[in-house]
Amino acid sequence: MRRVAIVGVGQTKYQSRRDDCSYDELVFEAVNRAFEGVDLTIKDVQAMVFSLAPDSLSGLSNAERCCVGAIGAQDKPFMRVNTGGSTGISAVQVGFYHVASGAFDVVLVAGADRVGESGDAQTILNKMWDPYYERPLPLNAINMLALSAVRYMHKYGMTEEHMALVTVKDRRNAAKNPYAHIRKPATVEEVMASRVISWPIKLFDACPQSSGGCAIILCSEEWVRKVTARPAWIQGVGHHSETYFMGDRMGPKRINDHADAEAKGQAIRKAYRMAGIEDPRREIQVAELYAPFSNTEYHAIDAAGFFPKGESLKLMEKGFFNLDGEIPINPSGGVLCSNPIAVTAMVRVGEAALQVMGSAGERQVPGARKALATGNGGDHQFFGAVIVGSEKN
Amino acid sequence: MPRKVAITAVAQTPYSAAHQELSLEELIFQTVNAVLAKAGVGIAAVDSIVISSSDQVDGRAISIMVTSGPVGAYGKDLLNAPSSGEHALALAYLRVASGMFDTSLVVGWNKCSEPDDMSNVQNLTADYIYHRDLGFNDTLALALQAGTYMTRYDVPEEAAAWVVAKNRKNGARNPLAHLRQPVRLEEVKEAPYVAWPLRRSFLPPDSDGVCALLIASEDKVPQLAPQGAAWIRGLGWATDTHWLGDRALDSMNSLALAARNAYRSAGLRRPFEELDVIEIHEPSAYHELMTYEALGLCDPGQARRLVEKEETALGGKLPVNPSGGALSANPYFATGLVRAAEAALQVMGQAGDHQVPGAGLSLASAVCGFAGQGGSVFILSNRPE
Repeated sequence: MRRVAIVGVGQTKYQSRRDDCSYDELVFEAVNRAFEGVDLTIKDVQAMVFSLAPDSLSGLSNAERCCVGAIGAQDKPFMRVNTGGSTGISAVQVGFYHVASGAFDVVLVAGADRVGESGDAQTILNKMWDPYYERPLPLNAINMLALSAVRYMHKYGMTEEHMALVTVKDRRNAAKNPYAHIRKPATVEEVMASRVISWPIKLFDACPQSSGGCAIILCSEEWVRKVTARPAWIQGVGHHSETYFMGDRMGPKRINDHADAEAKGQAIRKAYRMAGIEDPRREIQVAELYAPFSNTEYHAIDAAGFFPKGESLKLMEKGFFNLDGEIPINPSGGVLCSNPIAVTAMVRVGEAALQVMGSAGERQVPGARKALATGNGGDHQFFGAVIVGSEKN
Repeated sequence: MPRKVAITAVAQTPYSAAHQELSLEELIFQTVNAVLAKAGVGIAAVDSIVISSSDQVDGRAISIMVTSGPVGAYGKDLLNAPSSGEHALALAYLRVASGMFDTSLVVGWNKCSEPDDMSNVQNLTADYIYHRDLGFNDTLALALQAGTYMTRYDVPEEAAAWVVAKNRKNGARNPLAHLRQPVRLEEVKEAPYVAWPLRRSFLPPDSDGVCALLIASEDKVPQLAPQGAAWIRGLGWATDTHWLGDRALDSMNSLALAARNAYRSAGLRRPFEELDVIEIHEPSAYHELMTYEALGLCDPGQARRLVEKEETALGGKLPVNPSGGALSANPYFATGLVRAAEAALQVMGQAGDHQVPGAGLSLASAVCGFAGQGGSVFILSNRPE
């Protein structure tokens, strides 16, 4: 199989609203930024992949079709990917297959979202569930993961203060990331005092509704050296699906446990296998883990297999996952500080790539050579993982 | 060089106005089971699953959440290409060609009976500032394109009507077709206009149905398709701009580009002479004529000549849509994928009553978006090279 590298990453600033531009202009802004510092133009790109999650968030069905101009795809191969919240990392993997198959040498993956302008994202996300049994509850992404938090508390002894520690860390990191939506640091007391949304998840435990775009350029090995001195090689990819029905992850007959992110662990292990990683704690220097609520960062760290399950709670207290800790988690501030849904999981890959390229600015983890990125989609159901490295594997 | 990849099995539901007895999930489950049974394997033999869903038609914000179960995705690597059904096949091809997967399921579906009105669903894909309030939908976009084409080249209505009669006659031989009653040329020409120049008879029905394919890498083909497979010898897909005002509506530009790429990869130079059978995704009768030209079967504006000589009828020099085409069955988002499935059945010699005898090389074309914004072409053969 051919080797594939990320050679360009473009992001817009993530914020609540972008009233100054249209949806496709937001895509265009991210696409242009991906070409900065890369010796490529849009003419070199042979195929495009569009990253867009539920149509209903933007109010335009198949909105990718309006963005052909913005992504520069006219007269070129173009397809869209949607796996819910994991869409962005799925789209990068689709771009990877475009190049790895030998069919294309230069592929652009891009998208944008305007969650801040969707009215209320949770009202829309309620529509991903069954119209008869689940919608009227009403289920949404927050109470779905509040159930997981309660279970994690029961199983591993997580407290609300443990959750607050994640927010404090991620906010501190986001203050160093010029693209992050929420850049204001917070204290444990402030998190604890914030309004309860769905216990134990409080306002400061939850991601914002962000608008913004992201773009990533992928190249085949033959092209990489010609266009950049600092590629991020895609060493491993993995994708794995959990059952749709949450009831299958609860109760005595469960096939998985809703506290954990078992399928995420499977996706990560696939990526490790492909990358030849046997001891992730020693081989991975930094991870961008998709965690839209503070509690979910714990089972994401568990899924990455750095430590035995549940130990992440104590290690978080000790600062293991801080920017200067043993394995920094979410140096960008993560999903907790920016969540433009269609591209959130692509941002995880982009940020991981910037780390191994040594281009992460103030949020750079010194000496990062291998980084893990993940994405979650559906009702904690679709999971993607990507390993990027400064060297070929 | 990409690995060689083939379609090894195909299963489809019957297409109908409404499959009321089964839910969408049950229809998908049955079809996936059927395609696995044809290949003689269980779901464990499947590495990759690629599906294509339309949230708007399915009535869910992320419809693959619930449909991932019936396609067998639990514990597997599932991707979704919601830009159109045929893109799921292109993506599955890329995955298997990369060497990371040996087999992939590809599944597309629609239950057009469930939304209250498909034209409202289509209207939601229209830009909300300029086009949506005009009531824009697929039919209006297709009518603008067909009107431009037939005016530019002076195409007689008779030629489009002949396409309808031909496809409906073929559809009568296809046990899975939605419309199985042949229609006389006079009936076709007497149908009322929906949007000039498109008469009701020139447009496909809205159908319910599911189409599933199993594809495999070359080393798995002998085991999965001992009776013969449909090798993907070439493929191409391309997109045009969204804005109709920026496009040349008298031709199908993205489809022509897709065909050029597919022909290059398959090494085809004279498609009209070399191909044995074609399955075209014709969103209207005029679009089958425009597709003849986009595929290079004749010069621009000359499709009517092929029609006058009846070259594309069953029994003609190059039969088009022996299955009856979209005019006989149209599960909207999956209609392009159905074309690939039918083109595969032809070269596998499994097309039953609508088999073109001795078909060895087939082509499937698909379009998506307003006025064929996106075009895809697959070249299939009964031989790997």
